[in-house]
Amino acid sequence: MNPGMQRRRRMNVVLQMVTTLITAILLGQLWLFTVTLEAMENPAASMSVATAAAICSVVACGSVWVLIRFFLNTEQTETGERS
Amino acid sequence: MPARWKQDFPVPSGEDSYVTRREFTKFLGLTSLAFLIGTCAAATRKLAKQFFRRDETSVAVAGIQEIPVGGHKLFRYPTENDPCILLRLAEDKFVAFDQRCTHLSCPVLFDAAKKQLACPCHEGFFSAEDGRPLAGPPKRPLAQLLVTTQNAQVLVSQREVQSA
Repeated sequence: MNPGMQRRRRMNVVLQMVTTLITAILLGQLWLFTVTLEAMENPAASMSVATAAAICSVVACGSVWVLIRFFLNTEQTETGERS
Repeated sequence: MPARWKQDFPVPSGEDSYVTRREFTKFLGLTSLAFLIGTCAAATRKLAKQFFRRDETSVAVAGIQEIPVGGHKLFRYPTENDPCILLRLAEDKFVAFDQRCTHLSCPVLFDAAKKQLACPCHEGFFSAEDGRPLAGPPKRPLAQLLVTTQNAQVLVSQREVQSA
């Protein structure tokens, strides 16, 4: 197997790991979204619940974009090409 | 045997549906962004609801003698589209709730004997004391209004804000 093919396979493994992590974060964001909707519908729910959920969602979205940038930068460094 | 034109003009169908890693990660990022926008929109709506509720003033909805103990009166507050129910549970105890069931918004009815509010649509039951769900599909309590008495009048004002 030539070195180029090895790098490509290594990047596929990295992509799978990043994708798994991002999927977990997305599921968390989905849960936060449902919590916020519930708080919106329920007048007895505290405002701090919705605020905390929104802040956590901002952090989660930031993490996703950081992970994506990390993956794309690593890929470019390793393979020297943009996929 | 494949048609002659396919040999002369081969269609790279595999490449047509090929998704690059960059496109795939972009899709994941945009999905995350969509969740963020949805969450922020819902939180903003919640904030707006609480902010505007503070401006609502007390209104007289009934005279104290108008409702006997165990009786009730229907009224609309704060707008004509918000049906509410005022209950007299004891000589000096009045409570008021949003009349819409928290399951699917059917109007709840007062059962004085059981001191419960019943939703006839799907047999949901709420406590008449504090509006908490007792049985049936509803999971959330009825929205409660703040009730005061003044000059032989029963006044209701903004919904009570309780910590979840």
